[in-house]
Amino acid sequence: MKCTTPQCLQETHPGLCDAKNLDAGVEEVFGMMLGVNCRRIADAPAAEMETEQGIVTAVIGLGGVLSGACVLRCSARAAMRMVGRMAGMVFAEVDEMVEDGIGEICNMVAGAWRNKVPELAASCGLSVPAVVSGSGYNLHLQALEFQLQCAYGFEDVRFTVSIAYGGLSQPKPRTA
Amino acid sequence: MSEVRVLIVDDSSVMRKIVERSLRQAGLDSLLAYEASNGADALETLKSKPVDLILTDINMPSMDGLEFLRQLRSQDLAPGVPVVMITTEASLDRAKQALAAGAQYFIPKPFSIEQIRARVLPLLKTA
Repeated sequence: MKCTTPQCLQETHPGLCDAKNLDAGVEEVFGMMLGVNCRRIADAPAAEMETEQGIVTAVIGLGGVLSGACVLRCSARAAMRMVGRMAGMVFAEVDEMVEDGIGEICNMVAGAWRNKVPELAASCGLSVPAVVSGSGYNLHLQALEFQLQCAYGFEDVRFTVSIAYGGLSQPKPRTA
Repeated sequence: MSEVRVLIVDDSSVMRKIVERSLRQAGLDSLLAYEASNGADALETLKSKPVDLILTDINMPSMDGLEFLRQLRSQDLAPGVPVVMITTEASLDRAKQALAAGAQYFIPKPFSIEQIRARVLPLLKTA
């Protein structure tokens, strides 16, 4: 696990950087939609991810009170396994359906995490998913200073989920 | 139960398949599923295909689920047909908006077969 959120934000908004909220969101999504027991693992499996078939990265933008992104990153093989398990299908390559499915998984993880952070639940919107697949690329999230990153696994599938954000604004007061 | 015609509206083709499969697993053996990838597509589909149930996401490009619901009601395209929203947008505000726009139920993603069975199937018996 990696958390680069400054101490002041950790104190004022503990839910943002509490990995347990992310753990609970991931476990909920993978338990209900894939029927697997998915748990946090010790380290980000960077070496395991880079395979001949490449890496798949899904991004969900976070807007409103929190400006940032939820990023799910895994090997092509892991992506095919995850979407295959969710859709009840077998995939031999990362096609549009696998990309679509990884985007949906990331979308549900972002939503489940957000709903577990009280300061975000009602005031943070999610974008539609963007998915990148291939090899030899880096994803640069501009001006996002803070990050919570955890690695997860089930069976022999490994992936990382990152919540990156640039700061937290105060929600606007509601008007009648 | 005779064949049930369901319109599934979601921009994710995988999610549309999963929703259809979940309906079958929940007990809807005789199911004719139509699919649409956004609200505008769904409105077009409904002009030529009558359905017994509509399941729709909220967050979609072109026309989102809430606008789809408003258009559906204002155009009177599927009078009396129950609408269930299945979405990651699970805040109380969103649920209120969905119900105010005419949805019968609001199911957050991720969802379980039990939720589909408990929330969706009774709507067909009373529709």
